This record gives sequence, structure tokens and C-alpha cells, in this order.
Amino acid sequence: MSSIAEAPLGTVGATDEPVAFPAKKKRIRGSSIAILVFLTICALFFCVPLYVVVVTSLKSMDQIRQGDIMSLPWSLDFSAWWQAWDKSCSGTLCQGVKVGFLNSIEILIPSLVLSIGLSIVTGYALALWNVKWANAFLFILFMCAFVPFQIIMVPLILITGFLHVYGTIWGIAIVHAVLAMPILTLIFRNYYKGIPQEIMSAAMMDSGSFWRIFWEIILPMSGNIMIVVLILQITSIWNDFLIGLTYGGIGTQPMTVILANVVITALGEANYNVDMAAALLTAFPPLIIYFVLGRFFVQGITAGAIKG
Amino acid sequence: MAVRWSHWSPQLALTPSLAVTTVAFAGSIGWTIWLSFTRSRRFADYAIDTAEPWRQYNRLLHDAIFLNALKNIVVLGVGSLLAIVFGFILAAMIDREKRGEGIFRTIFLYPLAVSLIVTGLAWRWLFNPPLGLQAFFARIGLPWLHFDWLNYPQTAMYGIILGTVWQGSGFYMALMLSGLKSINSEIWSAAKLDGVSFWRLYLEIIIPMMRFTFLTCAILLSLGVVKAYDMVYAMTNGGPGQSTWVPAYYMLNAYWQAQNLGLAAAAAVVMLLITAAIFIPLVLLTAWQQRRQEARVQ
Repeated sequence: MSSIAEAPLGTVGATDEPVAFPAKKKRIRGSSIAILVFLTICALFFCVPLYVVVVTSLKSMDQIRQGDIMSLPWSLDFSAWWQAWDKSCSGTLCQGVKVGFLNSIEILIPSLVLSIGLSIVTGYALALWNVKWANAFLFILFMCAFVPFQIIMVPLILITGFLHVYGTIWGIAIVHAVLAMPILTLIFRNYYKGIPQEIMSAAMMDSGSFWRIFWEIILPMSGNIMIVVLILQITSIWNDFLIGLTYGGIGTQPMTVILANVVITALGEANYNVDMAAALLTAFPPLIIYFVLGRFFVQGITAGAIKG
Repeated sequence: MAVRWSHWSPQLALTPSLAVTTVAFAGSIGWTIWLSFTRSRRFADYAIDTAEPWRQYNRLLHDAIFLNALKNIVVLGVGSLLAIVFGFILAAMIDREKRGEGIFRTIFLYPLAVSLIVTGLAWRWLFNPPLGLQAFFARIGLPWLHFDWLNYPQTAMYGIILGTVWQGSGFYMALMLSGLKSINSEIWSAAKLDGVSFWRLYLEIIIPMMRFTFLTCAILLSLGVVKAYDMVYAMTNGGPGQSTWVPAYYMLNAYWQAQNLGLAAAAAVVMLLITAAIFIPLVLLTAWQQRRQEARVQ
């Protein structure tokens, strides 16, 4: 700012300033343009797959067979979308990906409640209450966050089977809650650690009850972190494939599993327009969240990655 | 701090998470390790194979498919380093040229919001030889540009690397960008004043200052590579043949298709060991960094 404000003043007094000033300005603009061009080319690279998926889903199979993947569709035809939504076949069941969409929604709600409920209380207790072994427990949680899913996969099948929830919505929700617990607890704990000591002392004088402080003071203060965690969890539960595949039964498979069945294990001739429409429909919910609430999304993934 | 009559509430509130940690994590890991020393086939057999306790591990290490799966994650890991390099270049460019930061960040990060299955299927379609990018390149007069990598065992892993780099670069860009923003602004102006050239500024000052960010990225990347599954499943489903199998794919296949619980458990334990080998340096590093920071404050 200051250099811009001072430059015109300098031109009044010194004779050699006007010569130096445009030259300097030009150099900066040149490199700016180079950077912007480079970034734009990279942005195009990032957009190509999305563009191709969208145009493919709007083409007819006749046009796709012509082999010009980048071309625009001849006419705006949403019939592939309708077919993907309502009629595409997963195995022998030809009711479209809407089955998966509804299953994913049904999975989402109990999974969110269980995973956030479990970790918010744990994070609150560890951050604001005197728990002797809090640090040891946090360290163990930190390690659990990195454990590969496969090492606990089979025991969790047996445990959910023992609880008679294997293959149901609740089975999937429990596994989501278990796997998300370490990361989410650390995120909540780090957030609550930042609450000033005075607030806690005052609350302690006032009621001193663990649950009353939680409901009346802590929870109303958690708006920001709640949005971040909600977005993180909604996208990761929606995009999950392996948990849904392993713990979902007939009728409880999430949308990603149905999509993979439609495209990869499909019988007969491949309908690429229907495949891409199904992929797009599966990608829509998290993409909408991303474009509307992007800032919180970025906070969520970086917090989830670094703290976890 | 805690008032006496509510002393048990926090402890009580921690019971569920403690139970999850002991049963679903510690107990389950122990259970899997135990099974890897048994001769379990389809169902769990809890008798440790005393005659040959390492039987499953021997089998794994003599199985060309598993060894190839290990080789594949090394290739994938090395190839995916491109995502870190690319992410850093993007972050440095965005940080230097503030114009359009919001738009570029939004574009570079959107693949992260999309399911890996969807991403994999999109790339699988782009790699379709008669109808995908290869046909497009031939049409615009670049017939020598082959884009049929997924069809050959020698090149299929490179296709998966391309998809992984496309998906992950934005994430490393976000981490690098927050690293770059935390660099003291005086360094930039001091470098400008001293007339330090662009390349020297980045290679000799900025990158060494950001070594911990780079290390964090590298560790996160390798932990992700060990777990890689969705992308492989969606792009090649392990093929052609078994050329793109990764340990996670091997483990799931051993459990569901081969119905060999003991072998699946051993493969999972190998995955855990690789993760530990990457994870322990991270813990040591974080502890060391913290101590250094505390020393600086005092």
C-alpha cells in the first residue's frame, strides 16, 4: 500500500523516478500473468474429469460411441440421469441408485448422532475435568486414529454380529462411530482446551454438575466446531465405501456400494452415460456442501488430518 | 478443580469411549494378531499353531501376489509424492499472487469432497481406450499420446497414481498454504530488499523453513497409501490380472473370496506393522518439536 501511495509523490521531486517506476510495475505484472496462466492451466486439469463426467452423462450412447469424449452433448438429454436414478441395475435388483441414496441418508443420521455424541462428551470430559489418566488416554487415542481399518475389521464383524446389528443400519453406524471416535475426540478436546479457565470456574461455582455445564454452557459455545465436525462427518460417511461394503447387508448398502455395483459388476453392455450419471448423483450431496460451506470443509479436513 | 459430589460424572462419561478403545481397538488388534498365528480357515480357530506359528506369514512372504502388492504400495507412495510437490507449487503460486486465491483454492480442493469411488470411476472412463482420452488425442492429431495405461499390467499402477495425485494435490496445497502463511512476513520483505532471486528464496529459505510441513505431508501421504483401496477397486478392481493388488485388497480378498481368516489376519498385521514403522517417527518428531518450542518460550 505505502509504495503505491508514495510513488506519485516521488515522481514530482526526482527526475529519474518516472523511468524506474513503470519498469518496475511492468516486471511485477509480467510475473503475475505467468503465475495466473499457470494456475489457470492447473485449474483446467482439475476440472477435466468433472467436465467429462457431466457431458458424458448428458450424451446418448450413439454420440458416446463416436469417441469424442470432450465434445458437448448434441442435445440436453437427462434421460440417462433418470435411468441411473430409477432403473440401473445393482446385481439383479434394477431399482436404480435411489435405493442407495435412501440407504445412505438412513445411515447418515444414526452415524452422525453416535459418532458426534460419543466424541463430544469424551472430548469435553478430557479437556475440562480433572481426569488423572487424561494424557495417557489421549496418547492412546492419537495412536488409534492411525490404525488401519483392516486390523479391526473382522473382530468388528463378530462384535456387531454378537450385538445382532450386523448388516443393519445400526451396525454400520456403530462402526462409523468407533472409527471416527479417536479423531473427533481429539478435535473436540483441542477446541475445549481453549475455553478460558474463568468460565469453567464460574460454571463450577454456579452448579458444578458435569451434565448441566455441558448442556447449558459448553454445548451452546460449540457452534463453530460443531459445523466443522458435522461437515467432516457428513462427507466422510457419505463417501465411505469399505464400511458400507463390509457391514451393510441386502437393503442397507450405501450409495457408493450401489454405484460400484452398477458400474463395475454390471452385466451386459456398458451404458457409459448411465454410469456417469450415477457417479454424478452420488457425488452431488458432498459437492453441494463443499461449494456452499467450503471454508468449514477445509478446516475440517485439515483438523482431521493433522490432529488425527 | 472438580467438586467432590460430581467427581464420578466425568469418569462415568468416559466409560463408553474407554470401552470402545479397549474392545474395538486394543482387544480387536490383539484378536487379529492372535488369529494370525493360528490355522483358521473360514471360521476362527483359536488354537495357536505351535508346530508352525509363522505359517501364515511364511505363506504371505512366499506369495508372489502379496509381494507384488507390497511393491505396488511402494510405487504408489513414490509416485504420489508428486501430489506434495504439485501441492507446494500451487500453494506457493497462490500465496505469491493473491488475486483469485478463493477461486483457485475452491477448484483445487473440490476432488477432496468427492467419494474415491466416484473419482476412480471417472478416471476409469477417461482411460477407456476406444472412447476415452486416447481416442480424443488421436482425433486432435496426437495419436502417439497413449492413454490406455489401465489395460496393461506394466502401466496400470501409473494410472492409479495419476488419479491419486489429481485427488490429493489440493489437500497438500491447503496444508502448504497454511504453512506458507505462518512464515513471518518480514522474511519476504527482507529477501526482496536483499535482492534474493526467486529460486534461491524458495530453495534456500522457504523450503527449509517448512521442513516440518513437508514431513507431516509425507507421513500423512504414506499412511494413506498403506490404506489405499477404494481408488484401486474403482479404477482397475485389482486388474489386469492381479497386477494392481495392494495389501488392503489382498486382505479383503483373503477374507471374503479365499475365506482364509488366518491369512487375512496376517496380511492385516503386516499393514499394521508398516503403519507403525511410519507412525513412530511422527510421534518422536512431534515430541521433539514440542520440546524445542517449549525451550524457545523459556
